[in-house]
Amino acid sequence: MVEVNGKAKTMRKCKYEDLIDDYLLKRLPESEREIFEEHYFNCSHCFQELTERNELIAVVKDKGYSLFQKEIMAEETKSVSWFESVRAYITPRTWAVAAVSAALFLLVILGVIPSLRTSSPQFFINEDLVRGESITLISPVIDIPTVPTQFRWKSHGEDVEYKIYLYNEQLLWTETTTENSIILPEEIRNLMIPSETYSWQVKAYAKEGGLIAVSSRVRFRIISTQ
Amino acid sequence: MEKVKKENDTLDLDAIVAKYRPIVSFRIKKSLGVTNPDWEDVVNEIIMNVIEKVKKREFRGESSIGTFIYTITSRRIVDYIRKKSKVLKHAPEPDPFPAPHEEIENKERAEMIADCIKKLKPKFREILYLYYYRDMTREEVAKKLGVSPRRVSERVNYSQKLLKKLIKK
Repeated sequence: MVEVNGKAKTMRKCKYEDLIDDYLLKRLPESEREIFEEHYFNCSHCFQELTERNELIAVVKDKGYSLFQKEIMAEETKSVSWFESVRAYITPRTWAVAAVSAALFLLVILGVIPSLRTSSPQFFINEDLVRGESITLISPVIDIPTVPTQFRWKSHGEDVEYKIYLYNEQLLWTETTTENSIILPEEIRNLMIPSETYSWQVKAYAKEGGLIAVSSRVRFRIISTQ
Repeated sequence: MEKVKKENDTLDLDAIVAKYRPIVSFRIKKSLGVTNPDWEDVVNEIIMNVIEKVKKREFRGESSIGTFIYTITSRRIVDYIRKKSKVLKHAPEPDPFPAPHEEIENKERAEMIADCIKKLKPKFREILYLYYYRDMTREEVAKKLGVSPRRVSERVNYSQKLLKKLIKK
């Protein structure tokens, strides 16, 4: 055995002999083609083999259609019989089952799967659209009889820091906490007046500082003072 | 090489021409196409050039005479293509490998080879059909027949040997 182009070849009279087919069938890279061309200028044996093989290929290519009628017919029959056997296997009942299965499959894909997906609310932070989860505010909401002493919202898990914002027409107060409630300081309570409408909002941050959830901005009105 | 040297160790030009004309012709036909009307002229030019260079002792034996003639042939092919491209601005490059049917010069011999192919056993006909007529790669044929690629080459070579025997009969 010898190695030609990394392929193991059977020992022949000349190691280049194995390149004859690839050369004639245009399957040699340019560099190897040049090497082989130079070789057959120097090797009578390879040139002899080359011309004989070239002649054989020429005849096969030129007269192949009439020469290989049996082989061509056999291949055509084979492909037709394969198609026929598949077609024979598929009865109208099979087609109906396949159609129903396909319809059910589409129904699952288009109908059920999207509804299983929890939708992420969109909200804007500094005009950037952010996708994240929402925080549910518990109290105060809508109308309350007195100035609130405490703000409460649904916990968003551990290791979360909340930032609360209280607004009248502008930001009145802001504070951070790791609890899901916060006591409103006395001095802020004193600033709040009855019949006025206020709003508040909570944002949740991960320990690393990334924003993970935001509540909607909820309005409330103080009906009377304490 | 030995055959192209005379007893006094000088190159025998007649022997060179006799030996290398078919090789140069084969290379030129492969490069320019056998239907190219210029191919014989180009071969003659190359042979004349070789004779001239040998006479002028430009061949000094630094390489084999085969490599010397191969180099002259390759340069002439490049020159030919370049000149043709200049004359016809958008002339397509000659097909380096003409369609094989164009190369059957001896029709009687081609018929004889075809008759011999018909006489081959089915497994040898099949390999020639897949490998040469269908132009499948060695690996594709191997996969189709459930044999190794080397087996494919061996079977192709054996088919050729059988054909040679049949042709000689």
